[in-house]
Amino acid sequence: MAKTILIVDDSASMRQVVGIALKGAGYEVIEACDGKDALSKLTGVKIHLIVSDINMPVMDGITFVKEVKQLDNYKFTPIIMLTTEMEDDKKRAAKEAGAKAWVTKPFQPPILLAAIAKLVLP
Amino acid sequence: MSNINPALETFSQEVDELLTAMEDALLVLESTPDDADCINSIFRAMHTIKGSSGLFGFDEVVAFTHEAETVLDRVRNGEREINADLIAVLLACKDHTAQIIQHVLFNEEEPLPEELQQQGQALIIQLTGTSSAGTGMPTTQEEKADHFEVDVNTTDSSDNWMISLAFKPDALRNGMDPLSFIRYLQTLGKIIEVVITMPAMARIEDMNPEDCYLNFKIAFNSSADKKTIEDVFEFAEDDCEIAILPPNSRQEHYLKLLENLPEDQFKRLGEILVEIGALTEKEVALILNEQNQNDNDEIKPLGEMLVDKNILQQPVIEQALKKQEAVKQKINKESNYIRVDAAKLGYLINLVGELVISGAAMRLMVDKHGLSDVDDVASTMSHLVEDIRDTALQLRMVQIGETFTRFQRVVHDVSKELGKQIQLQITGGDSELDKTVVEKINDPLTHLVRNSLDHGIETPAVRAQAGKPEKGTIHLNAYHDSGRIVIQISDDGQGLDPERILAKAVAKGLVKPDQTLSHSEIYNLIFEPGLSTKEEASNLSGRGVGMDVVRRNIEALRGSVFVDSELGQGTTVTIHLPLTLAIIDGFMVEAQKERYIIPLSMVEECVEMSSDEWQIDDTQHYVNLRGHVLPYLRLGDFFHKNKKHTHTERESLVVVRFGEAKAGFVVDELHGENQTVIKPLGKLFENLDGIGGATVLGSGDVALILDVQGLIQHAKKRVRPGLALSSAV
Amino acid sequence: MSAKAKKNEGMLQLSIKDDMTIYNAESLKETLLGYCQPGTQELQLDLSAVAEIDSAGLQLLLLLKAEAKKRGFVLRLLRHSEAVIEVFELLKLGMYFGDPIVIPANWKKS
Repeated sequence: MAKTILIVDDSASMRQVVGIALKGAGYEVIEACDGKDALSKLTGVKIHLIVSDINMPVMDGITFVKEVKQLDNYKFTPIIMLTTEMEDDKKRAAKEAGAKAWVTKPFQPPILLAAIAKLVLP
Repeated sequence: MSNINPALETFSQEVDELLTAMEDALLVLESTPDDADCINSIFRAMHTIKGSSGLFGFDEVVAFTHEAETVLDRVRNGEREINADLIAVLLACKDHTAQIIQHVLFNEEEPLPEELQQQGQALIIQLTGTSSAGTGMPTTQEEKADHFEVDVNTTDSSDNWMISLAFKPDALRNGMDPLSFIRYLQTLGKIIEVVITMPAMARIEDMNPEDCYLNFKIAFNSSADKKTIEDVFEFAEDDCEIAILPPNSRQEHYLKLLENLPEDQFKRLGEILVEIGALTEKEVALILNEQNQNDNDEIKPLGEMLVDKNILQQPVIEQALKKQEAVKQKINKESNYIRVDAAKLGYLINLVGELVISGAAMRLMVDKHGLSDVDDVASTMSHLVEDIRDTALQLRMVQIGETFTRFQRVVHDVSKELGKQIQLQITGGDSELDKTVVEKINDPLTHLVRNSLDHGIETPAVRAQAGKPEKGTIHLNAYHDSGRIVIQISDDGQGLDPERILAKAVAKGLVKPDQTLSHSEIYNLIFEPGLSTKEEASNLSGRGVGMDVVRRNIEALRGSVFVDSELGQGTTVTIHLPLTLAIIDGFMVEAQKERYIIPLSMVEECVEMSSDEWQIDDTQHYVNLRGHVLPYLRLGDFFHKNKKHTHTERESLVVVRFGEAKAGFVVDELHGENQTVIKPLGKLFENLDGIGGATVLGSGDVALILDVQGLIQHAKKRVRPGLALSSAV
Repeated sequence: MSAKAKKNEGMLQLSIKDDMTIYNAESLKETLLGYCQPGTQELQLDLSAVAEIDSAGLQLLLLLKAEAKKRGFVLRLLRHSEAVIEVFELLKLGMYFGDPIVIPANWKKS
C-alpha cells in the first residue's frame, strides 16, 4: 500500500516539483497551498507524513502544526518542516508545536526525499 | 528530467505573479510605508522565489534573492526603516530578479552575462551596503550520495555495527516511529539481528499504549560510515538515545587510521576520534554535555564514558590515548621555543607602547576632523593594535612554576636546620605572569615562605601533641582571576593568635583599646610596621619587621596582600598581582595645565572641594574629610613651586590610598580613566620625587604617572608648602 | 476498535479488523486485555485484516505475548497480513512469536 504524503506550500512550483519527485519515488501525494487548505484536506484520508512550509499566507506552518496536533485522526502524523536558516526562532516554535523533522531551504528534491524516507518509506 | 518542464512553466508563472504582487506592494508602500501586509508580501515574493529556485538549482537566483530576503526580513522585524530610497532599490531588485530568471529559464547552462552579474552586485551593495562577493552565498546543497554498496560477503556475525536505540515515551506521539528508522536503515545495509527489550511492567493495565516502550539492539552489517548511520536517526535525536558501536573490522580500520594520523598538532581525544571517523560530532557534544551537567560527582574521562555507553571499543580509545601522548611528547621534544634576549622583548614592548599612543593620536585626529570614512579603518587598526599589545605582553609572560620550585631547596634546608618535618606542595605552577613581576615577587615570597617555615609550622613533637601529622605542609598555589594573578602561601601550622596580635597592636598604639576589630582585621594588622608575632627573633625571619616591607613591596607592584588564619589550623597569605607592569589602568587628572596619571587601583574617591564646605587648613595642609584628618597636596603647587599659580574656583580632591595611608591630591580637573602605557623616565629623571614614570597621551602631550606612595609620605611630612622640586617637565 | 471473537472451550479466536497503529492503540489494548481473562487457555489472533501496523501496534503484540506467558495461556498469531509480515521480517520476530507464517502467493516482495 502506497504511503500518502501531504505537501503544504504556497508556491505552486515547489508543490509541483516536490510532487513529481515524491510520485516518482512511489508515494501518493496530496497538495495544499496553505495551512487552512491543508486542514480542509485532513478528513477521511490516511496521511502518513506531512511536509509543510512555515511562511505561508492565510495560515502559517506553525499554526497549522498546532492544529494538526488537535486532530484525533492525524495528531501522530510525522511532520517535516521546510525552513530557512534564518528562521531559527520559528524552528523552535514549530518544534514546540510538534514538528520534529527539518529540511532547510533552498534544497533539491533528493535531500527532501532522503529525509522523508527516514520517516516513511514508500 | 523531462517531466520537470511543466514545473518550470508553473515556476515561471508563479514568479510573474509574485513579482507583480511585489511591485504593487512596493508602490503602496510609497504612500504608506508601514503597511505590514505589503512588507510581508514583498518578503514572501523574495522568500518563495528563493525557495523554488533552489529546487531547480538556480543558484544565481538563490544568491540574489537571499540578499533581498535578508534585508526584507530586517524591515519586517522593524530593524531597518523603509524609505523612498529602499523602495527604489527594491523595485530595481524586482526587475533584476525577473531578468535573471528569464536568463536561467532560457539559457539553462550558460552563466549569467557580465552585465547582469554587475547589476546584481550593484544592487546588493545598495541593499546591504556591502558586497556579497566572498560572503557566504547560499547555494543549493550538494546532493548526497544515497547509495551504499552492501558487500554481501561480509556477513561474518562478529563484524557488525551494534546499534542501540532507547526510545523515549513521547517518540510515537511525535510521529517518530522506530520501525520507520529501522526500515530506512535497511537501505544502508543488512540487518542481521534485532533484540527488542521492553521494561518489565507490573501491571499491563497501567501501560499507556501511546507511550513508546521499545528498546532495540540491532546487529547491522554495512560499509557505510558512522556519520551516515547516525544520520538515519537524525530526526529521532530528541526522542531516542542512540549508541552506535562500530564493528570489529572497523576497529582495525580505526586503529590503522590512528597509526597514520599526522603527529603535527596536539589534539583532544574527542577531536582525534572524530577525525578518524570513530566518533561523530554529535556524540562528542552529547558526552561533553553530560560531563558538564554532572557537577557533583567526579567526572569520568571521555574515553571511559565512550566505552560505558557502548559508543566505542576500549582498544580504539587506548590507541587514541597512546597516540595523543605520543604527539604530546613529540611536540615537547621539538619544543618550538626560541631564546630571545629579554632586552629585545623589552624594546618590542616599548615600541608597542608607542604604537598604542600613536593609535590614540590617530583616533583623536579622526574625531577632531570628523572623518567618518576613516573611522572604520581607524577602528580596525585600534583593534589590531590592541591585539598586538596583548600578544606582545604575552611574549614576556613566564610561568610562575620555576619561582615556586626554587623554594623546594629552601624548605628542605630550613626544615633540617629547625628540626622540623616540612613538605612543599606546589599547584598552579603553569600560571603565567610578566617576567618583570616575577622578578620582583621573589623577595616578598621568600619572606612569606620563611615566615611559614619559622613561625607557622610547629616542631614534630608539638604537632603530634595537637593531633596533627608530624610532617607539616606548606602549599604554594597560583591562579588567574579576572586579569590578575593570585598567589597563595598557606601552611597547616599553628596559625595566628588574634589576641596576641591585638594586645601587641594596642601596646604599639596602632589600635585603641576600645576598638572592636574583626578577626580578619586583626590578622591583617601583622602587615603594620613594628608588629612582631614572636617574642624571640630567629635569624630567619627576623623580628617580624619584614611583614610591612612585604606589603610595601607588593603594593609597589600595584598588588595587594591579605592574610587569613585559624588558630591551630594554619595560615594562608593571599597576594593579588597585576599580570603586567607595562600597562595600567590610570586615572587622569589635571592641575596647573599639566596632566597627571594616578594608578586607578589607588584612587579611593573623588570629591569636589569648596572652601566653605570643607575645613581646609592651608598652612597645616590638611583637610577635614567627614571628620577625618586628611593630609593633602596641591599637585600644581607641589610640582610648580616657582610658578605663580591661580586657584581655579572649582577644585577636586582625589583621595588616594596606599596601604593604610591616605592622602588627598588637589587638582583642577578630573579627566577619568584611561589605559596608560608606562614609559620609564630616563636616567636623568630617575630620582624625581613623586614621579613613577610617564606616558605619552594621544595628543602627543606627556603626562606624569604619580608615585602615590612617595607623595603620600610627602603630604604627611609637610609642614610648609613648596618643599620638593622645581618644574619637572 | 473492531474485532470479532469466537469462543470455544477456553479457546478464543479474535480477528482484528483494523489497523494496529497508534491511532487505535488505546482501544486495541482494551480489547486485547478484555480477552486475557482467567479461564482463557488459548488466544488466537487473526491478523489477516491488519492493513497497517506500527510500533504502537507491535509493542502491544509483544506485551500480549509476555502477558500470555505470565498468565499461563497460549497466544497464537494466525494469518499474518502483508503489513505484519513485513514488520516481523524487519525485526526477525518470527522466531519469537513462534507461529508459522504463511506467505501468500501474491506477496509483493517475492
